[in-house]
Amino acid sequence: MDKKAKKIISFLTLLSCLTIVFTSCEKHNPNSPGVEFMPDMYRSPSLEGNMGYTSISNGNLMQGNKSPVVGTIARGFMPYIYGNDTAGYGMAGRNLHNPFEKNEINLKAGEELFGIFCVECHGSAGLGDGLVGIKLPGAPPSYTSAALKNLPEGKIFHTITYGKGLMGSHASQLTQEERWKLVLYVQKLQNQ
Amino acid sequence: MNTRYNTPQIKPFAIIAFLLLSFLLNLSSVSAQDAEKLFKQNCAVCHSLGKNKITGPGLEGIAARAPSDDWLRKWIKNNKELIKSGDPYALKIFAESNGADMTVFTDLKDEEINSLIALIKNPPKEKVAVASAPEAGVAKEEQNGVNPLGILIGIISFLIIIIAVLRGVSHSLKNIQNEKEGLPNEEAIGVWGEIKLWMKDHKRTLAVIILFVTGGLLSSGWYALKEIGVYTGYQPTQPIAFSHKIHAGENAINCQYCHSGVEKSKIAGIPSVNICMNCHKGISKGPNTGTAEIAKIYEAAGWDPEKAEYNKPQKPIEWVKVHNLQDFVYFSHQQHVKVGKQECVTCHGDLKEMTTAKQVSPLTMVWCIECHRKTEVPGMKDNKYYESLHKKLAEKYKGQTITVDKMGGIECGKCHY
Repeated sequence: MDKKAKKIISFLTLLSCLTIVFTSCEKHNPNSPGVEFMPDMYRSPSLEGNMGYTSISNGNLMQGNKSPVVGTIARGFMPYIYGNDTAGYGMAGRNLHNPFEKNEINLKAGEELFGIFCVECHGSAGLGDGLVGIKLPGAPPSYTSAALKNLPEGKIFHTITYGKGLMGSHASQLTQEERWKLVLYVQKLQNQ
Repeated sequence: MNTRYNTPQIKPFAIIAFLLLSFLLNLSSVSAQDAEKLFKQNCAVCHSLGKNKITGPGLEGIAARAPSDDWLRKWIKNNKELIKSGDPYALKIFAESNGADMTVFTDLKDEEINSLIALIKNPPKEKVAVASAPEAGVAKEEQNGVNPLGILIGIISFLIIIIAVLRGVSHSLKNIQNEKEGLPNEEAIGVWGEIKLWMKDHKRTLAVIILFVTGGLLSSGWYALKEIGVYTGYQPTQPIAFSHKIHAGENAINCQYCHSGVEKSKIAGIPSVNICMNCHKGISKGPNTGTAEIAKIYEAAGWDPEKAEYNKPQKPIEWVKVHNLQDFVYFSHQQHVKVGKQECVTCHGDLKEMTTAKQVSPLTMVWCIECHRKTEVPGMKDNKYYESLHKKLAEKYKGQTITVDKMGGIECGKCHY
């Protein structure tokens, strides 16, 4: 083979190599995010919400989300004083009263929250016929049933805070203000 | 035959008597079906008819354990009164349940309670559930993309080889003819010689080909460079085969039920396991993966489904974050959802149709700015805090819609600080 042929071969090889290099960057693997360039400013050195971090003391992967230090409370947060038991339930029913007045704005806020957090199980009218509710071993009782129709507002608040029976606690999703606004709307459904 | 006038007349009294009788009969006995319905409405939230505990104990064999049917009747109707009266068995049960009380059912009629007790004693046989074969949770799409450029190169080289072979054949045929006519043989020049010869004859074509190939390579290289740091299509496998399609689509659970931080915080939030347990306390079997995947939630939450209590150590679930925004840009969900009233679907795509979450938006600066240039801020108009500002802007941009960029939404410092 002469020199020119060699040159052509090397040119063709280079060409195919380049083609492979430039076209293989398409994402075939959904588990890989792709190529990063200088990731030092992409990644946060400080902790972000929902991120894990490596513990300095033992090298274990730790959860970024932490409970407050024991004995401290967040600014503006009022701890709920009644316990998650029968006595607390009764006391909540007797002593707790809604700080929000029943007006259109608060009711609308309650309705919106109801549509997000309650409707799945309790149904849009609180009859216990929500899409998830009917899949549970027992549907949640209707708000208009004899057992719940006259439930005092404090007990409703207590139930949203701690849950009852199959219902879980919604305290991590709803602030106390939001819970009280929800109580207003639940009462509206009770009295329908 | 006209029978219309021949029908025997039923006396109205008989009709009334019949109706009254059947009505009375209906009242006095509650059918087994109605009992099941009653049980589902009132009892099934806490009790199962089998042995397993939900929040109250399973009711299998409870009639044999209780002192008498009469005791059961009293307990169902008003258990609190029975405890107050100092009944020893009632006190014992109350002590066993650690002070968790049962709802009183004073509104249930005696017949209804009797039918419920009958149902507890003879529970209907479990309907044989049609076991649906657990399908693979995530149907993995085959992504064997064939490179069109590769095909082109293959075809071209194949054609070159064919041309060379054909020319070789014609060359040897010519030599045979030359031999017959007594002429000297032509020298064989080989494949590369042929190509060289062809290139010599077609200099312009060659130049055009080289131009196209180089141009193609450069442009594909340019686009490949643009892909660096853009993670569109990222769809990582999660530790639990959670399906957005089942939860948000089929069951219509609001996005905010789980991502409840979206109106309150910079991040929408990956739900903590207690939020999973809000529903999965009661639902332990899914339509796609059966009990296998939901058991992982129980493991993380430390929940014992047999005893229906949290008695094991908790273990965090290591979800894989899908949308990784670079640290040098600030983004707040609260601002976009609460004030901007943006829908989740605008940036995250239709998750009601996705199984595992996938990044559908590029999250590049161009993408941000394009949206900021054409989107209004609905929450600004009826918010008194922005009233004076909005008035000024309306004066400044008369007749134009006031989009995000007009109120400084594309200033560098808004996002990069």
